[in-house]
Amino acid sequence: MLQNIFFGLSLGAVYSLIAVGFALVFNILKFSNFSHGGVMSFTAYAGYLAYIWIFDGKVTGVTMFVAVVLTAAVVGSLTAVGIERVGFRRLRSNQAPVIYYFISSITLGILLENIITIFASSNFYSYPVFFSSKNVDLLGTSFSVADFVTLLFSTAALGALLFVLYRTKLGLAVRTVSFDVNTATLMGIDPNRVVMATFALSGALGGISGVFLGMNYSLYPQLGQLVVKGFIASVIGGLGSITGAVIGALLLGIIEVGLIGLVGSGWMPACVFVIMLVFLLVRPRGIAGVIVQEKA
Amino acid sequence: MNSSIATPSTRGLLEVSGLCKAFGGVKAVDGFSFDAKPGEIVGIIGPNGAGKTTVFNLVTGVYTPDSGSVRLDGVELSGWRQDVIAREGIGRTFQNIRLFKGLSVLENVMTASDPYAPYNFLSAILSMPAKRAADRQATGQAREYLDLVGLGGMEEARPESLPYGLQRKLELARALAIRPKVILLDEPAAGLNPSEVREFIDLVRRLHERFNFTIVFIEHRMEVVMNLSHKLFVLSFGKLLASGEPEMVRRDPAVIEAYIGDEE
Repeated sequence: MLQNIFFGLSLGAVYSLIAVGFALVFNILKFSNFSHGGVMSFTAYAGYLAYIWIFDGKVTGVTMFVAVVLTAAVVGSLTAVGIERVGFRRLRSNQAPVIYYFISSITLGILLENIITIFASSNFYSYPVFFSSKNVDLLGTSFSVADFVTLLFSTAALGALLFVLYRTKLGLAVRTVSFDVNTATLMGIDPNRVVMATFALSGALGGISGVFLGMNYSLYPQLGQLVVKGFIASVIGGLGSITGAVIGALLLGIIEVGLIGLVGSGWMPACVFVIMLVFLLVRPRGIAGVIVQEKA
Repeated sequence: MNSSIATPSTRGLLEVSGLCKAFGGVKAVDGFSFDAKPGEIVGIIGPNGAGKTTVFNLVTGVYTPDSGSVRLDGVELSGWRQDVIAREGIGRTFQNIRLFKGLSVLENVMTASDPYAPYNFLSAILSMPAKRAADRQATGQAREYLDLVGLGGMEEARPESLPYGLQRKLELARALAIRPKVILLDEPAAGLNPSEVREFIDLVRRLHERFNFTIVFIEHRMEVVMNLSHKLFVLSFGKLLASGEPEMVRRDPAVIEAYIGDEE
């Protein structure tokens, strides 16, 4: 039982990275950024390549893991910033309707997947094993080291993000722009810079989650479609709310693990989507209860 | 009557000339010109729908003028992005109060001081001493602005929980935080009761004495207009109807007609 909850939390922690990366962009531009999936696929591959080309044989274990994750985070930041330049900057300067952003983001996500398929084929690759399959004994039950590190590292990443958002001027600018971009600009805040920084933050989280996904599910071009999990978590938690996204994601992780035991892994995804549908119909604000108008 | 207000020097600080803006077929602003010298307090009055707020929106870059020029300290601003114009030194408040509702009172003021603490991403994350010192300074500055407008001690409150009059003061504090050369006040006394209006006039005088910036304001209340302005511009149907000393403008038959005509 305790073991399952722990496994659920560790799964939920990865989802929360996805969901928060998703929520950051939603907050600023008010659309669901599905190109985030493309970023995750891309960074999962980038982490893998960094492993083969650079780090293999030089470092091992936790050091290797941290090196790969940081590489993926940097690549994710750059990719997301690039996506914003290519896919959204022009839409913003034309003040295009939000539905255009939405379509552009889906297009970019699929485009990235296709580019990956060209260069890496649609084969599955197995991610390097960073941690021995040893277990840690705690409170009378044993936990896998991988789950433990996942939980730890996700928490650290979220902590860093919250620090940036609530303790720095950049974070204040991000929050300001997400409330009212027009007034913010009249107060001298450069919206382009803030949007770029937001994408960089979101991309870094996407990069970290990309590596975790690769570790959990092996590597393939459509890996990033697991962005849907982040989306579900966002809906459950409340679209656009960072805390909501985290709570929703942790719940989703525990629910999924619980459902696997209850109805089996075949039925689990279907049940999860039913839960999401119920939330959309009954409580579209999500758990956090922030009223955000989803425009696309 | 303006004895308590520092006398302005002669060079134009904000010079707006031949400003035009049409929305569809409607010429909202049609060749309007006005200017303000350093330290001068200038009022823009006119009947409802005359295009006063549009003028502010053109000056601050919310709209791009169809033609005409906006010069601040000799630099042409028209066509620039609004955040750049703001950083050049034009601060403003809004007719319908526009505060950031999810932020605290203090944070509302700090958003505007943002451009003056250039953040480096890495040093922000690592929380370098330089960054922390800059933050402390920005916070201290913001508190000072809040004290100045009489909002000291309310730093952590939510703006939407403040009474209307205090919300107007908070907008003023936020406008101060960008350290403007020119501050534009859009109907700053709207919705204030008579005692709040008197207090507001005093506050503007005090701030003007302290910072000696140029103030351009739109206002309907004659009490505010006659008490504060060195110079008045009257806008009617997008055009300049009259300008000059407040007492003179008030007696101008064309102005009286425009106002009375408006009321009929």
